[in-house]
Amino acid sequence: MNWLARDSRPAATVRLIIALAIIVAVWEAMTRTVITNRLILVPPDDVFAALVTDFSNGSLAKNSAVTLWELVVSFPVAVVAGVAIGVVLAGNRIVASTAEPLLTALNAVPIVALAPLFIAWLGLGFASKFAVIILVSLFSVIISTEVGLRSAPAEFIEAARSFNASSWQIFTTVTLPFAIPFIVGGVRVAFARALVGVIVAEFFGSLAGYGNAILAAGQQFNTANLLAYVVVLGALGLVGSILLRTLETRLAPWREVART
Amino acid sequence: MSGSLGVEAVSKRFAPAGQLGVQALENVSFSVAPGEFISIVGASGSGKSTILRIIDGLIGASGGTVLVDGNPVTRPGTDRAVVFQADTLLPWRTILDNVGYGLRIQGKSRAEARRLARPYIDLVGLRGFELLYPHQLSGGMRQRANVARALAVNPQILLLDEPFAALDAQTREIMQTELLEIWNRDRKTVVLITHQIDEAVFLSDRVIVFSARPGRVRDIVPIELPRPREFAVKRTQEFGVYVERIWSMIEDEVRRAMTSTAET
Repeated sequence: MNWLARDSRPAATVRLIIALAIIVAVWEAMTRTVITNRLILVPPDDVFAALVTDFSNGSLAKNSAVTLWELVVSFPVAVVAGVAIGVVLAGNRIVASTAEPLLTALNAVPIVALAPLFIAWLGLGFASKFAVIILVSLFSVIISTEVGLRSAPAEFIEAARSFNASSWQIFTTVTLPFAIPFIVGGVRVAFARALVGVIVAEFFGSLAGYGNAILAAGQQFNTANLLAYVVVLGALGLVGSILLRTLETRLAPWREVART
Repeated sequence: MSGSLGVEAVSKRFAPAGQLGVQALENVSFSVAPGEFISIVGASGSGKSTILRIIDGLIGASGGTVLVDGNPVTRPGTDRAVVFQADTLLPWRTILDNVGYGLRIQGKSRAEARRLARPYIDLVGLRGFELLYPHQLSGGMRQRANVARALAVNPQILLLDEPFAALDAQTREIMQTELLEIWNRDRKTVVLITHQIDEAVFLSDRVIVFSARPGRVRDIVPIELPRPREFAVKRTQEFGVYVERIWSMIEDEVRRAMTSTAET
């Protein structure tokens, strides 16, 4: 039990496997006892079978190619743009105080509600998904970048200035390194939002993709197929989160050391 | 030999726009000879830290000038380096890269900065800790690294802003003797801000006593204790007389500062 509490990769893997096993067991038990209507819930092995079918007939590959391409292209653009805007906001009080109410409003609006509009403007293909992903993920990257840059302790900045550091040197050696963990945190939140955004956008109109497949399965009452794609999305979210955490420890090793 | 410092009629008013503001320093003048070790003591509100920042060029004076080797100070320069009270080592840099920080800012390559930083790591007794991060070191060791970082840029004038204030009493005493040894080696000009009168007397050639609100030079006390000074000098009668004399100058203000804080 003590071993499980450790902050090591094997321990984390074992914890994850145990958690997944519990979820599958509860799921299985539910389908046998409480929910016997197969339209509402199907047992894990049916879902697995549906996954295997879609894998062998090529649907999974086709849908993955569409959704992953949308994410792989759009999300990095959102991150780079968000960091850039955050840097501008952190560096300029006038721009920041002008933009902040707009950004807060942008964050309060459920952007996914605009997805039908984007579909109408930009079509069923890649462009509308690109726009939705950018808009849903931008905000948290901007804010975390700005907050991270602004939170750099004044003592650090003063020490850098005492060595006659230029504004650019203070940015690259003090405020930006200080902001990195904040930014990665914002990117993690943004990734979860992008995942939701791309699926909902595909619901509203698409030719293929996970959202397209889930919608089709739902309309055909093919619960097993629907859940199969939800499981794939869960796996995608998990992988994304693990990758981003690895990135965080890579970019901010001093925090990793702090934990041990 | 260079490293002379002239503070000439410096005053500083902190005034937010449209307000009367606070007179932090008024007509402060003193000079420091090359290689001299001086301390500035005073009650809180005497502008000790402010004068240090003006000497470094971090903030500008409202009036008067600071001259380093005859040249007026307008901004921080490589002839001066500061050791701050607060822990200002960058947590994402190893001790070696923290000590080399000032050299990197001067445009040296990473390898060059590390090569030049190493002797200073040795000087402050941190050999073997180069590749650790600041939070893995004790407060005393971190402050040694801070001193090394300031020394690594090879300044003419070393400015110390209550460098040992955050340390426990034993560590502080050890750090004082270490600082004296380092100073003895290459005799840089040192300006030390401290609220510990015994620290000021033990280390300095002269102690500049500030009065508070506004900060002014109240008196300058030459400390004629023989050098090199050992720890034992603190138990001599002369030492006690110096401490007593300086304390009596600022005692009233310290008490007033205490009661005014209690009232607010």
